[in-house]
Parts: sequence; structure tokens; C-alpha cells
Amino acid sequence: MADTPIPLEVRNIKKRFGDTEVLKGLSLEARKGDVITLIGASGSGKSTFLRCMNLLEQPDEGDLIVHGEEIRFKQTRHGREPADWKQVVRMRARLSMVFQSFNLWSHMTLLENIIEAPVHVLGKPKKEAIEHARALLERVGLTARADAYPAQMSGGQQQRGAIARALAMDPEVMLFDEPTSALDPELVGDVLKVMRDLADEGRTMVVVTHEMGFARDVSSQVIYLHQGLVEEAGPPQEVLVNPTSPRLKQFLAPKY
Amino acid sequence: MIDLHGYGPRLLEGAGVTLQLAVLSLILALVLGLLTASAKMSRSWLLHKVATLYTTIIRGVPDLVLMLLLFFGGQMALNVVTDAIYDRTGLDWYINLNAFAAGVLTIGFIFGAYMGETFRGAFMAVEHGQIEAGKAYGMSPWLVFRRIRFPQMMRHALPGISNNWMVLLKTTALVSVIGLSDMVRVAAEASRATHEPFTFLIPVAAVYLLIASVSEWLFARLQKRYNVGFGGH
Repeated sequence: MADTPIPLEVRNIKKRFGDTEVLKGLSLEARKGDVITLIGASGSGKSTFLRCMNLLEQPDEGDLIVHGEEIRFKQTRHGREPADWKQVVRMRARLSMVFQSFNLWSHMTLLENIIEAPVHVLGKPKKEAIEHARALLERVGLTARADAYPAQMSGGQQQRGAIARALAMDPEVMLFDEPTSALDPELVGDVLKVMRDLADEGRTMVVVTHEMGFARDVSSQVIYLHQGLVEEAGPPQEVLVNPTSPRLKQFLAPKY
Repeated sequence: MIDLHGYGPRLLEGAGVTLQLAVLSLILALVLGLLTASAKMSRSWLLHKVATLYTTIIRGVPDLVLMLLLFFGGQMALNVVTDAIYDRTGLDWYINLNAFAAGVLTIGFIFGAYMGETFRGAFMAVEHGQIEAGKAYGMSPWLVFRRIRFPQMMRHALPGISNNWMVLLKTTALVSVIGLSDMVRVAAEASRATHEPFTFLIPVAAVYLLIASVSEWLFARLQKRYNVGFGGH
């Protein structure tokens, strides 16, 4: 394993929106099989940090290395931007993202959603993509919904479908942006179960979440962010069970 | 059967001219509209200004004035250019701007501005998360446009496009003033010669109505296609 490149490395990411510095120098290294959870109050910068990892947000400073390949940046009139968008496209295809609001393409059926990027971005033959998609649908328990449009599915089904769409890319790292926050409480369990299975099979994942149970049971590392900085980080047994920072203690304390 | 006093074939020809003119103008207007909408949404200050100037002028000046301006003014501008070439090189490149081309250019140009606004609104109605998902899955901007933005935008744009098309179709009647023998010009001529306006103008009205009805049916089918997945309608 020593000579396989590290799937994802980010170093010293800084980002400001206008006058507010939301990320003040954040780093992370996801090795193969790592499940890293990012926790923190809203406004701590955790989602922005995740979105910088696939350049949905452009970091003002910092390095991004995907599968050993460093992303090149240049300064433009509009700020810092990737120097080579082809490189970005290639790197995004190695990472796949699961969004808080699912973002399945609403004009396509679930099956079409799943084969879209494999066929048009990776250039996979359609027939093969469909076979793979059917296997993934079975895995997330949605075989019967292959021909349904997103608007005809429940939130939980849409999110499991979105996970299938992410898996169809055979991604090196999966990024989850609060995948259960938009779901009704009774639907959260199904989605978390799928995510636990993925972690068990050794998928590399970076997860922004409010689900402390998931963070505790599944992560290899927990990072607690506060105002754009890492306040505490480490294995869940330490960070979540015996936190040292008073802020984290307060964050973890039962609220009702 | 109505007696068309021998004008039947010319009327039919005129109807063909009207239909060709309308369809070609529509194509030009759609292309210009997409370009205008893209320019207005682009980060470039210059493109934005140019597109705004274009839509402001077109929407503020009467169609008939624009048409005359383009037909006569366009011919004059062409003459200046070809004369200059002749003086310097002795080459005779005189071009006679034909009425049909002038008609297509003017109508396409006018409706491009309206289509631009229709498309811009429609593009803005596409949920941002849909585009973001495309980017996040490694799609290039062109692929995102082709596979996600365009099909989702069309659902919002079609009612506006259909409306613009109906107005465009009727605007083609104006080309008779620049001497193009469309259906209206033939009918007007025939009415004057025979003193039987109804004999010619009622069939003309019926042909417009027929084209409009067929278009409505076509647009309803397109709308159904682009509404897929969005429920309702």
C-alpha cells in the first residue's frame, strides 16, 4: 500500500467571503479507508471546507492534492482560480459528493441520474453503466424505483439514490455534506445505514454531519471546527468521549 | 369554391414565403436570444453592456422603423463599402440586399432581443444545486449546459418562446412594406385590383390562424416533453 498515492490531501486552506474570514487555515489528510467526520456549530466553516475540497468554492490560499496530483492555481481579476479546468474536471471525477438537498437531476429518472456522469464524464459504455447502476440500486434498496423521477420519491429515497449516483463513479473519496440534515427523522436511519455499510467496506469518506452517533461509531478521525479553525481533532474515543476543549464539551452537551 | 381571379397560385406562393420567413427568423432569434442571455449572465462587463444596449434599442424602437432602417440603411451601408472597394481595386462587388434576407435579418434581430429576456429568466429559474451537482461530478461547463441547464431551462422558457413565436409570425406581415411578396402583399394587391377585399383577406387570415393553431399544438407537445419529472401540468 505504501506506493499508492494518498487519495486526498488539503493543506492550509483559507477562504474569505467579503470581510469575513470563514476558513483560517485548515488541513486534512484522507488516507485509504479513512472516515473523517467534520463537526461544529453552524457557521464554523465545515461545509465550506468540504466544498473547497472539490472546488465548488475556490480557496483563497492553500494546496489541494488529489491522488498525488497537485491542483494548480493562478491569480485572476476575480481572485484565485484553478489554472487548468481540465485538471479540475479530472479531479472532481475522482471525488463524488452527496449533498444536503440531494440535488438529483430532476429531469432524469433515478437510473438516468446514476448513469449520467459515468457515461458522459468517464466515457463508460451505456450498457455497462446500466448494469452497474442496477447493482447499486439493489444495494441501497431502490430497485423498484429505477424509473421514478426524483420528485416522485421521498427524501430518504432521494438521498439513497444520490449515494448510488456517487458510488457509480467508483470514487476514490466520497464527500458528504450534511447528508441527513434535510430528512425527516424517521428517514435518517436508512441513509445512515447505507453510509455505515460503505465505511465498513473500507470506502474513504469525508463527512460533514450533526449525527454524533454516526461520528462516534464509524469515524477514524473526528475534527471539531470552531470559527474556521480546528479546535480539536483525533479518534472519536478521545474527541467525542473525553473532549478537552470547553467549547467542544459545551457543543456535545445534551441540549434538551 | 371561392373565385380567386387567378391569384390562387401567387397567394399560395406568398403563404410559402410567409412560412419560410417566419421559421428562418425564429431560428435566428433563438440563436441570438441564447447568445444575448449568455452575454447578460457572463462575468464580462463589455458583453453585458453590449447585450443590454441591444435589447434596449430593439425593445424601444418600433419594428416597422427598424425594418425600414435595416433595409434602406443596410443597403446604403453596403453601397458605401462596395463603392470603396471599387474605387481602390476596381473590383465590382455590388450586392443588392434582397428583401427576403433583409426580412429574416430584421425580424430575427428584433425577436432575438425578446428571446434573450425569455431565456435569461428561464436560466435563472434553474435551481443552483442542479448545476452544482453537475460540476461536482466532473462535468465540463459545456456538458453541464447541454445535459442539465438547457433541458431544465427549456421548461421555463417554452411558454415565453411560444408567445414570442406567435407575435413573430404576425410581424412577418410587415415585410410587404419592403417589397417582399408575402401572402399579405399578394392579397392587398389582389384586393385593390378586384375590389373584393374579403375574397383575399379572409383566406389569408385563415392561413395565419392555421399556422398558429398547428404551432400551439407543437408547443404543447414540447412543453409536455420538457415537463417530464417536474409533476403537474
